[in-house]
Amino acid sequence: MSQTPLAKPAESGKPRRLFSAEGLSPFQRFYLIFVAVAVLGPIIPTLIASFAFRWAWPDLLPTEWWIDARQTATTPLGWDYVFSPFSRLYEATLNTLLIGGLVTLVCVAISLPAARVLARERFRGKSGVEFFLLTPLIVPDVAVGLGILLIFIQLGLAGSYTGIILAHLIPTVPYAIRVLTSVFQGLSTDFEEQARVLGAGPLKTLWYVTLPMIFPGIVAAGLFVFLVSTNIFLLTFFVGRGQVETLPTLLFTRISSGGVLDPISAGITLITMIPGIVLLLITERFIRDEVFAKGFGG
Amino acid sequence: MAAPDQTIAKPAVPRRSWAGRLRILAMLAPASLVLVVLYVGSLIYAVLQSFGYAPIYQINEFPTTRYYQEMFTTPGFWRSVWYTFYYALVPTVVGLILSIYLALTLRKRFPAKGLFQYVYKLPLMIPYLVGISLTILLFSNGGIIARSLHAVGLLDNPSQFPRLLYDHSGVGIMIVYIWKQVPFMTLILYSVLLGLGPESEEASATLGANRWQTFWHVTLPQIMPAIITGTAIIFAFNFGSFETPYILGGGFPNTLPVEAWRAFDDADYSRRLYGMAVVTFLSLVSGVLLYLYIYWYRRFERQRGRS
Repeated sequence: MSQTPLAKPAESGKPRRLFSAEGLSPFQRFYLIFVAVAVLGPIIPTLIASFAFRWAWPDLLPTEWWIDARQTATTPLGWDYVFSPFSRLYEATLNTLLIGGLVTLVCVAISLPAARVLARERFRGKSGVEFFLLTPLIVPDVAVGLGILLIFIQLGLAGSYTGIILAHLIPTVPYAIRVLTSVFQGLSTDFEEQARVLGAGPLKTLWYVTLPMIFPGIVAAGLFVFLVSTNIFLLTFFVGRGQVETLPTLLFTRISSGGVLDPISAGITLITMIPGIVLLLITERFIRDEVFAKGFGG
Repeated sequence: MAAPDQTIAKPAVPRRSWAGRLRILAMLAPASLVLVVLYVGSLIYAVLQSFGYAPIYQINEFPTTRYYQEMFTTPGFWRSVWYTFYYALVPTVVGLILSIYLALTLRKRFPAKGLFQYVYKLPLMIPYLVGISLTILLFSNGGIIARSLHAVGLLDNPSQFPRLLYDHSGVGIMIVYIWKQVPFMTLILYSVLLGLGPESEEASATLGANRWQTFWHVTLPQIMPAIITGTAIIFAFNFGSFETPYILGGGFPNTLPVEAWRAFDDADYSRRLYGMAVVTFLSLVSGVLLYLYIYWYRRFERQRGRS
């Protein structure tokens, strides 16, 4: 994999030809539209479902809407329920963000030194360490999840935030180390050496030279880890034992009984998409595709 | 992930002072400790339990193969293995084909390409459970697609719509996997294609190859390492995936991860050891399949004289 700077280069020099579709065959044009519809299309009926009150077979639109039904209802319906304390939505959103944030901090902090060593030093057993860091991609989550749950039950960490944060480190640390290793590989040691020659100590060099230079890379790795953490279901569900609810576990509880998608589940589905959409807007701007792919094991 | 180039001799590992070695160890320690204690620890613990070591439930029959024997003779177990394999493999292959075509198309210039780069990545960023929700809404028997077919007069009632969810056909499960994973695979392939540049393909075209020949003999071999890595990751993920088959699968026998969880969740604690036997078997099969896959690929490349 080539070493690429993380920040996107300015695209001012590129000719912008928005309305030319050179080389796109009619089938490719159809295919791109198909992909866009397959990705975004389902959001429309989900929105409709979240605002429905009565939506029976075979109607394509609800016959009674939540807006009308809520006037006469004695209990919170649809979005009223979603945003009421009964749904545990606030709690789940806060937990998702809190756990994601703490996992990001801990994960980046412990991955930075490891990545630096892996990028710059040669030592015996290095290829073994690199292989070991890839294995969490391949070992099934469910095996790790059940094993860790048993350990945490004995340690009294099952159902606790600490337990969940520790569990989230298992899939995220290997990601972070891979992304950060490529960051350090792209950073020449010249500037640090110059700082040392000019009399800066190791800590000063780290603080004033190394960290500012790799900061964009740290942000990229951090966003990545946050994204992975907010998407984790299995480890949270197993280790959390239903006591710590996050957006994915909340949605699981709503839809695991099967059947049709009720308005409340549709609403929670839409809310669960929001962190991903926000992160997509941020990462598309700041992280190059190659680096992004690398984080995912590419 | 590029394979290490074996033609370049590795520089010797430098001789180091004790302080230097200690520094390397200290910097690797925090991350390694977390992974070794939590990840390796939990795997070892799972394996030990599967062989009968569980003092917390007052069970210590170590070493016994009782739970494995029970597993292999459970009716429906081998069907469970088959479903796990089948639901993992089909979306990997179908998703790969869709992704290769999407990645190739993305290299072209087209209107609103910048916007499309956002759109196609959306499924990558959100939990599988969202995909499951959307699939329920669209593909259930009374879902949006069945209703649309009714609206155009192709269906009279929901029972005429094929049962795609909550069924052993696993179509709903595979739809979720493909929806979530095509962006992932496309992203990997597209970034490799960007790195390669169009030169070798242009040369091939100049030398008279048609588009199919160029793809088959020039492009595909160059993206093959990325295809192997990507499909290995996706297959392994699907093989160990829990929530999708749990919700959209067809009841007993379901895939191995679901059966393991059910055993674990049983009121009878001794069933937990059975669950551990299932996940140990699952990890072992997953590891062996991936090893064979990569071994087979390396041998193929050697035969072609490529590596």
